[in-house]
Amino acid sequence: MNRLMALVKREFWENKGAFRTTPLAIAGIYIVVTLMFIITFNHFDNEFQSLKELIRFVSQQDVGIRAKFMYESTLAMSMMFSIVLAFVVFFYLLGSLYDDRKDRSILFWKSLPASDTLTMGSKLLSAMLVAPVIFWVVYVLTHIVTLLILSIVVLSLGENPWTLFLGLGNPFQAWSMVLLSYMAQSIWALPLYGWLILVSSFAPRIPLLFATLPPVVLAVLQLWIEFLQTFTLKNNLFGVIGEWYANSPLIMSADNHGNDNIGTALGIPVTSDFDHEVSVANILDRLFSTDMLIGLVVAAVFLGGALWLRHRATDN
Amino acid sequence: MNYVIEAQGLTKRYKSTIAVDNIDLQIPEGRIVGLIGPNGAGKTSALKAILGLATYDGQLSVLGKNPSRDRAALMEDVCFIADVAVLPRWIRVWQLIEVTEDIHPRFSREKCLQYLSSTKITMDHRVKQLSKGMVAQLHLAIVMAIDVKLLVLDEPTLGLDILYRKQFYTNLLNDFFDEQRTIVITTHQVEEVEHILSDLIFIQDGRIALDCTMDDVQQRYSELMVAPDRAEAAREMQPLHERELFGRHIFLYDNADREQLKNLGEVRTPSVADLFVATMSKGEA
Repeated sequence: MNRLMALVKREFWENKGAFRTTPLAIAGIYIVVTLMFIITFNHFDNEFQSLKELIRFVSQQDVGIRAKFMYESTLAMSMMFSIVLAFVVFFYLLGSLYDDRKDRSILFWKSLPASDTLTMGSKLLSAMLVAPVIFWVVYVLTHIVTLLILSIVVLSLGENPWTLFLGLGNPFQAWSMVLLSYMAQSIWALPLYGWLILVSSFAPRIPLLFATLPPVVLAVLQLWIEFLQTFTLKNNLFGVIGEWYANSPLIMSADNHGNDNIGTALGIPVTSDFDHEVSVANILDRLFSTDMLIGLVVAAVFLGGALWLRHRATDN
Repeated sequence: MNYVIEAQGLTKRYKSTIAVDNIDLQIPEGRIVGLIGPNGAGKTSALKAILGLATYDGQLSVLGKNPSRDRAALMEDVCFIADVAVLPRWIRVWQLIEVTEDIHPRFSREKCLQYLSSTKITMDHRVKQLSKGMVAQLHLAIVMAIDVKLLVLDEPTLGLDILYRKQFYTNLLNDFFDEQRTIVITTHQVEEVEHILSDLIFIQDGRIALDCTMDDVQQRYSELMVAPDRAEAAREMQPLHERELFGRHIFLYDNADREQLKNLGEVRTPSVADLFVATMSKGEA
């Protein structure tokens, strides 16, 4: 346990830029944009007349609608963090078993009494838990800071931010939903993570190419063969990956859920295998599906292959 | 006798070449063994097998363990420094010490800091900010602070200047080596290590060309320096090797009668470097 923690700590040190600085940069963007928005507003309307009118308009709206808006906007704020997190984890895993082979520091790491399984475990843990949790914490803090800024503005206009928006919803519910969706996504994305670790364990150079070229070639071949046989385009690898992405338990798009009730959605609501409305039940539905089971088997094969290769890997 | 490393029929094949060819090896504890051979002779391949860093064929046991299967457990008792600076370049010195301390049960932070205190290395340095010599010092400080039974050094001083090289071996002998420990060193710079070695293994084309103790070297081998007029007589005694230096002929003999040689000229024990050249040229002939 101590060793695993030490290895996770090492991953954090090595990837501080990606794991810590990146979410802080997003936070910075959010806060700066919020401030710029207020300053710009003030520039054209230094009495904040139109803002006062907006506040008056908002306060006349139904409490239920306002609460719903608070909840949905809190969820929506996570999307920028989620997208960047996906990129961070993608490139982190692509380099996870590659970078130390390239700079030969694998010879040092392998001189320590930590098994290859433990080393790979620490990398998977960093991708599935450490990075998402850091991003989530920064997301929550960013949300709090923007709410604070807005409250100060509203207060300075002589209005009560609590009755206007702060007291309307329990932010913990939205925050927890985002965290749950992050954790679910970590499991849902395991086939991809396994593939990236596998590629990073053998790619002699440019792991990005080795990660993307085989599926593209395979999918194109599949498309072509299916077209020749049936003149139809059915389930090929592109479709499978696309559907898998669209079915993700990550909050990443919006949907009207079949009525006028527009809000955030799980995955992309173009498939009908799962319900895309953001709810704990729908997230769990994905995690306990046959699709997930198949995904886990695929991930296990990739990770097993990566471990086998890591065992044999040295510096060249 | 307790053997630290035991190999039987150790073989390492790459696609078309055989790097290590059916080697038998027994290294007892408390020795300092020089594994010496020309470039591409298979030294590093053999060491990688011993350290569990590569697959191999044949029987191999290091401290009673199978290195390929039990690398992690083995590394509690074995340490190695490879031929190039392999410390991760992004890491800071304090991080390196912390991660080693957390992972290695036999690492002593105090000892490490003590070694480092005599260098210019500070805790906040990143490895990439250090000179090559300082990286070697840092790695040695880490390794010497680990209480292991076997230390493997693969060209540890390559690319270092003479001051660092001398210091490196002095530290190693004074602060690390004792009766319970074994050191295996590969190097090109034979002159540098010959006075610290207790055993000598020459390796050529993946095979062992010579395996003996330094005491054996003194007893078995003699070098004879003669004037040209006596060269013919010296040649008749079947030398391993002959060379010329400043008009004098120098012969190297295995198991020759020293008294007999003394009649011909000046006799002494050959240096490891000369023995190496003689052995290698015999192998090629």
